[in-house]
Amino acid sequence: MACTSANVVKCHCQKKWSSVTMPAMAKIQFCFTFILFIAINCASVNVDNISSDVKFKNVDRTIDLSSQLVKISQKITLENSGKSPVKSFLVAVEASSKNNLAYIGAKDSSGKDLRVSETTVKGHDSAKFWRVDLKDALNAGSTVVVTSETVFTKALQPYPTAITQQEDQLVKYTGNLYVYSPYQVTSQKTNVVVVTKGIESFSKVKPFSQQDGAIQYGPYPNVAPFTEKELSVHYKNNSPFLTVTRIERLIEVSHWGNIAIEELIEVEHTGAKLKGPFSRYDYQQDLHSGPASVRSYKTLLPASASDVYYRDTNGNISTSNMKVKKDSVELDLRPRYPLFGGWKTHYTLGYNVPSYEYLYHSGNEYLLKMRVIDHIFDDMQVDELTTKIILPEGSVGIKLNVPYPVTRLADSLHYTYLDTKGRPVITFKKSNVVENHIQDFQLRYTFPRLLMFQEPLLVVGFLYALFLLVIIYVRLDFSIHKAEHQHKD
Amino acid sequence: MSLEIESMVRYASPINPAVFPHLTLLLLGIGIFFTAWFFVYEVTSTKLSRDLFKELLLSLVAALFSGFGILFLLLWVGIYV
Repeated sequence: MACTSANVVKCHCQKKWSSVTMPAMAKIQFCFTFILFIAINCASVNVDNISSDVKFKNVDRTIDLSSQLVKISQKITLENSGKSPVKSFLVAVEASSKNNLAYIGAKDSSGKDLRVSETTVKGHDSAKFWRVDLKDALNAGSTVVVTSETVFTKALQPYPTAITQQEDQLVKYTGNLYVYSPYQVTSQKTNVVVVTKGIESFSKVKPFSQQDGAIQYGPYPNVAPFTEKELSVHYKNNSPFLTVTRIERLIEVSHWGNIAIEELIEVEHTGAKLKGPFSRYDYQQDLHSGPASVRSYKTLLPASASDVYYRDTNGNISTSNMKVKKDSVELDLRPRYPLFGGWKTHYTLGYNVPSYEYLYHSGNEYLLKMRVIDHIFDDMQVDELTTKIILPEGSVGIKLNVPYPVTRLADSLHYTYLDTKGRPVITFKKSNVVENHIQDFQLRYTFPRLLMFQEPLLVVGFLYALFLLVIIYVRLDFSIHKAEHQHKD
Repeated sequence: MSLEIESMVRYASPINPAVFPHLTLLLLGIGIFFTAWFFVYEVTSTKLSRDLFKELLLSLVAALFSGFGILFLLLWVGIYV
């Protein structure tokens, strides 16, 4: 996250320089250098050392396996056993699961977000490290409590990989029994939450206890840094295993008081595949048939959303319900067919929100503050997100500020009603997105207010040209013979 | 140097979306009236009785009202240009 803010600051200056002086060709060139710039900046991360002064006095870890995601939260009691104050510490993710990591964040004891930035440590190239900067330096001998949260996608493997319509879905989680940490951990406890009684098997390392829907491990005393021991849990998990393989989110800003949002969504059930035939009769008869399938899900829209549409290439999908609640609009979306393992669907969801909810201005300076991605369903996982922002025609000096690193693509133009030179489009991409990424971006731009008259004047001009044609036409004479003295009969 | 969000005000449409239908009907009504007047004048006037200034003035008024009327019609039906 540090890396982002640095990027943004730097690119502001570059952007200004480009938009003031450069014509189109140079702009394209600039966009490429900009992408390169981001790539280089995120690749060349800082190098940190593991301080021998820091110790994890106590770690309470909760591994939540109740959904399709693996959410690990750790309550770390940090101790400074050295002599000098400590300003930051490292959090590590083991090599086996680093590619599944979607989100990492840290909070202090009062619930305020701490700055987390990616880093590397010499001699530990396989693991991934993050540096957490503490609000206040930790003095020698004192302790502080920090909560870290990590979310992993695709870390639960369906086992067996294919099931019939009637069967429950069993999944296997493989993780680390101990907290993977670059520091000595004096005492640690792990609580694995599965919210089901159907646990087939789990790793048994004493001391442990099993209650309904949860397994407690520990306390384990004095675990050395970077200790790995397999923890596996094989259990029943019928929660929806839905992956959004692709989402394109279009945000179209109109200065006539509206922001139109359209999402093109491709969804796939990525749980255990369906083995054998699908019986619609059984499925309709028995509500418990197809426990691992997805019949419908809920999408939450902003409270001010109106004119909602839900359709696909065939047209409107009528099996949907909308409920307007106090702080949100709840959509109950039912795909055209239930989704079993390996089945896919795609649809378009769109709505309007009034501009005063998200657009701010001061004179001709505008600021759009909107979500990079919005809620699709609970515990969602998104493989690839593309967000496109379409600004009014004539907007200049565009500056984007994102809450986490994204890949910005080349700016383009969009043509719609009453456009002449096209509306500027800002596009950026991000892969592996989860609910924690529902955060606001800020987009600043300048739009001369008088340009709003361009659209009506275009229509006026066109109509006036038509009338002029008529005026000229009635003055033309196409008759073959002379109409002389016609009226003098 | 760039403005902070706290110092900015929320941006609402310069024209309240609730009056789009009324504006559409009023402006398009006037626009169609002048358009009709213009065409009636064009077909009834002869080479001798035609007045170019009157034609240009009628068509300009018709174009202005119809143009803005069409814009608000677009906005009313949800085409936010």
